[in-house]
Amino acid sequence: MAEPPKLRVLMVSDFFFPNFGGVENHIYYLSQCLLKLGHKVVVMTHAYGNRSGVRYMTGGLKVYYVPWRPFVMQTTFPTVYGTLPIVRTILRREKITVVHGHQAFSTLCHEALMHARTMGYKVVFTDHSLYGFADVGSIHMNKVLQFSLADIDQAICVSHTSKENTVLRSGLSPAKVFMIPNAVDTAMFKPASVRPSTDIITIVVISRLVYRKGADLLVEVIPEVCRLYPNVRFVVGGDGPKHVRLEEMREKHSLQDRVEMLGAVPHSRVRSVLVTGHIFLNSSLTEAFCIAILEAASCGLLTVSTRVGGVPEACPLHGSQVLPDDMVVLAEPDPDDMVRAIEKAISILPSINPEEMHNRMKKLYSWQDVAKRTEIVYDRALKCSNRSLLERLSRFLSCGAWAGKLFCMVMILDYLLWQLLQLLQPDEDIEEAPDIRLCHHRGVEVSEGLKEEDKVRNG
Amino acid sequence: MVSSSVSNKRYTYIHESESKSTREAIDIHHVIINGGRATSYARRRGIGFFLVLLASSMYFFLGKENPVKTLSWGCLLSGLLVMLQSRKFVKKESVIIMPTFGIQLETQYLSGKTVSRFIPIGKILKPVLVECVTPITCYWSLSLFLRGEEQLTLVFKELRPPLKMLVPIWKALCAAIGTDHQSETIVEEEHDVSS
Repeated sequence: MAEPPKLRVLMVSDFFFPNFGGVENHIYYLSQCLLKLGHKVVVMTHAYGNRSGVRYMTGGLKVYYVPWRPFVMQTTFPTVYGTLPIVRTILRREKITVVHGHQAFSTLCHEALMHARTMGYKVVFTDHSLYGFADVGSIHMNKVLQFSLADIDQAICVSHTSKENTVLRSGLSPAKVFMIPNAVDTAMFKPASVRPSTDIITIVVISRLVYRKGADLLVEVIPEVCRLYPNVRFVVGGDGPKHVRLEEMREKHSLQDRVEMLGAVPHSRVRSVLVTGHIFLNSSLTEAFCIAILEAASCGLLTVSTRVGGVPEACPLHGSQVLPDDMVVLAEPDPDDMVRAIEKAISILPSINPEEMHNRMKKLYSWQDVAKRTEIVYDRALKCSNRSLLERLSRFLSCGAWAGKLFCMVMILDYLLWQLLQLLQPDEDIEEAPDIRLCHHRGVEVSEGLKEEDKVRNG
Repeated sequence: MVSSSVSNKRYTYIHESESKSTREAIDIHHVIINGGRATSYARRRGIGFFLVLLASSMYFFLGKENPVKTLSWGCLLSGLLVMLQSRKFVKKESVIIMPTFGIQLETQYLSGKTVSRFIPIGKILKPVLVECVTPITCYWSLSLFLRGEEQLTLVFKELRPPLKMLVPIWKALCAAIGTDHQSETIVEEEHDVSS
């Protein structure tokens, strides 16, 4: 008989499959590795089009696509208290012990964390991005984050820079924040079996063509490099508002045969695009961690990147940058400096061995390692003491003169609504869902946990 | 006829079957709303009727002054609404399994009306237990895949019995249509399902 799972984790975020991105991949890979470690993981997200209800993914990962309408950039419409009934039902059904929210921009995540805290569950939050402090949007976002994080048990950030950013924005105590860097799926990102010839050097760029990802820098850098090196060509994958600027650049400098625009590249095809190149160029203006350069290094490409955010920081795993010196060349986010960095990269290209790079990446980054470290964070969160409503309210008061009182009112109302729900539908009325585990040795079979004798009583 | 039952706060499940279960025996499964709820619906219907009576009497006897008029209209409308709603109150839903022939799904309302639907055995592809997620809650339901129909057909249209009542009905349906559900290895584990 299988052992009961040690931890039962609910991952909450607006961003999950079928959407593709850093957060989505992070949640998926982390969940898969936690499942292999013997824990139970359930994911909660909003419905994507027709994809609504319960779905099971690889390894028995249960995903709830809750039919709340998304409104801006795939985030759920914020109703503050609207998600309380469904969150309560899912937490009781699946007998959850820890709730793990992802991404500060996800309204579903913040609401679920608030309701989970009201109901006394232990809560962990992971922040994946860096945000500013100056514009109106950021100020409001940071206030919401301050409210959300005032009461959580532990937080995780993907780099030290991200940790500083989160601590400053939310006023959270740094002792509560853990740093667990992202990893890369080295099994999927393997170098090409036959390395492309270095007669023509191919520089690959795969990113969303938006301001934040430095698309404007590309517009300056590409013509300059093409002028200096006649044997260099560019492959640009990805789509976005800045696509037009890149097309204009191609026209202006007649680079149609030297710059190939692929349009949006689905995640499953990213590797096949990467292995056609020798150098990977990342021109982001801000980056909390940057999985893209890890994927490129795993495929054996030499990386040229801007020295921003979490990219150049010290990583405790191996005491150097996100990638060691001989795998990455850094530059300031300035066109001239980037051109110089590309020149340096081209000069050291002959000494690069893709297979060796891939093997080093395998040792440096693995999702199993991330899962084990996350497990430690969960254990720490579970050891945190239970706090009464009054103690929790006192934490909110420190958030600001008016904001503190407003947050207290919000939490008191949430508590009252929860009590009302308990009256209308007592906890015992919420049926527990049986654990459905996949037996690997016999293919896809389902074992249901239900006692035969409980079902029918002879009358 | 052997009958066995399981009940919880809200529903009672009754299974009537032949004492010697042969392959051709008719299998009947009922899910009944518990007494308290049924009579509360009847009570509501009574209240609705009373409101209608009150409204008409107020209108005719207390004159046609404005506040009384609006109040009596209010009572009349709400009374009518309650009475209309009570026609939808379900007393019992049943599944009658006739092996090699078909299944009959019946819904019996408080007003005495019974709605039934017969589905021939050849039309059923598979019975499934599905978790339904709404914006507010999540519950189990037993549904049928039918040939030629895009949507799943619910076995219990109005009631939402708990999983432990649905599982024996699902197993009986699988046995009736000849699906070898044993290949799905239902292994009973030591797992407490709260009632």
